[in-house]
Amino acid sequence: MEDATRSFGKGSLPPGPVPDGLIRVYSMRFCPYAHRTRLVLRAKGIRHEVVNINLRNKPEWYYTKHPFGQIPVLENSKCQLIYESVIACEYLDDAYPGRKLYPYDPYERARQKMLLELFYKVPHLTKECLVALRCGRECADLKLALRQEFCNLEEILGYQNTIFFGGDCISMIDYLFWPWFERLDVYGIADCLNHTPALRLWTAAMKQDPTVCALLIDKNIFLGFLNLYFQNNPDAFDYGLAC
Amino acid sequence: MSGSARSLAKGSAPPGPVPEGLIRVYSMRFCPYAQRTLLVLKAKGIRHEIININLKSKPEWFFKKNPFGLVPVLENSQGQLIYESAITCEYLDDVYPGKKLLPDDPYEKARQKIVFELFSKVPSLVTSLLRKQNEEDCSGQKEELRKEISELEEVLTNKKTTFFGGNSLSMIDYLIWPWFERMEILELNDCVDHTPKLKLWMAAMRKDPAVSALLMEPKALRGFLNL
Repeated sequence: MEDATRSFGKGSLPPGPVPDGLIRVYSMRFCPYAHRTRLVLRAKGIRHEVVNINLRNKPEWYYTKHPFGQIPVLENSKCQLIYESVIACEYLDDAYPGRKLYPYDPYERARQKMLLELFYKVPHLTKECLVALRCGRECADLKLALRQEFCNLEEILGYQNTIFFGGDCISMIDYLFWPWFERLDVYGIADCLNHTPALRLWTAAMKQDPTVCALLIDKNIFLGFLNLYFQNNPDAFDYGLAC
Repeated sequence: MSGSARSLAKGSAPPGPVPEGLIRVYSMRFCPYAQRTLLVLKAKGIRHEIININLKSKPEWFFKKNPFGLVPVLENSQGQLIYESAITCEYLDDVYPGKKLLPDDPYEKARQKIVFELFSKVPSLVTSLLRKQNEEDCSGQKEELRKEISELEEVLTNKKTTFFGGNSLSMIDYLIWPWFERMEILELNDCVDHTPKLKLWMAAMRKDPAVSALLMEPKALRGFLNL
């Protein structure tokens, strides 16, 4: 995998300028927001390099890339920086030729952006469930709230009668949602999909997509990362790397 | 001005379909989010009709236009509905010809969206300060607002331009304007005391035809907020 490189931590030297013809993404192998950007890079066949950041031990230079040290951030060979995952994904779709992930039609485009609004509670709820479970706490209320959000998404699929959120082919909105659904199993909350058959069909269809497939994170490696992460071990971010 | 028509409330009959050649916006005269959409409609010279919604007593049919029951919502003659103010503004810029408010250059467009994110804490801070005007101590929130505003000042300082998108007014300026208009009316001006570039920006904004055509009557806004 392109992003199977050691993360940069405090005291590390900053990477040099981005070579012409390439775009760089500052990332972390297990971050769902950065995952969105990596999906788009892959789906559009964009030549890129990945620089992983140790999020518990951020390099000082990283704050020159993002004021709060967040990921993902795109950096191009003109030293232009783009962040917020959704903005980065749209930038890639606009700037690079080939397969367009957002629809051409302005109304369909707006529909996808409205759908994204429907999704906004999901990242926070899935993370809260993960933290609760990992800390040995109960999370029935959180799971209920998450199931409700999933019901709303289920309703959309039912109303549209399409496999994917943008129609019968995969498109940007599906990639923007995917990272959290991929994590349900490893977070221990896959049962939240029990009452949403269309959403289950969607996840099955997503797993058949070549881009999603290529970036699927190995479950054991993810679990290894989570174990170390919740022990506050800064080596968590490089877990599973070859050397 | 059709924007001053009485609002439709619970029990009202739903309006008919939108005539061809027109786009409809469901709005409310004092809503800053809806003002974004109205600014874009004005700036691009788009023929439109306004239906004001009584937000304290919403018509049942309005939830068919937006399941969240919020304004603004656009409805076109094909019956397509678009909501979330920023999404409506981008939609209008995509669909209608004439002056493009969002830059064509992908990076410049992304920069506008980054600045928009920088602004994102301001609306709730201004709203809660508006509500507290005569009440308890709001110095904590004022400090927070000043901090957010300082970040916007920094953008103008680094860019060295009058407006947030360059030397001409563009989408990002319209998207953030409504809250600065309210800060002036409601005398939260001291929050922009230490930000000279923003002060200049506000003065420049007031000269824009779309902004000045939609300026609220201060008495009307104060009256509305008191109710």
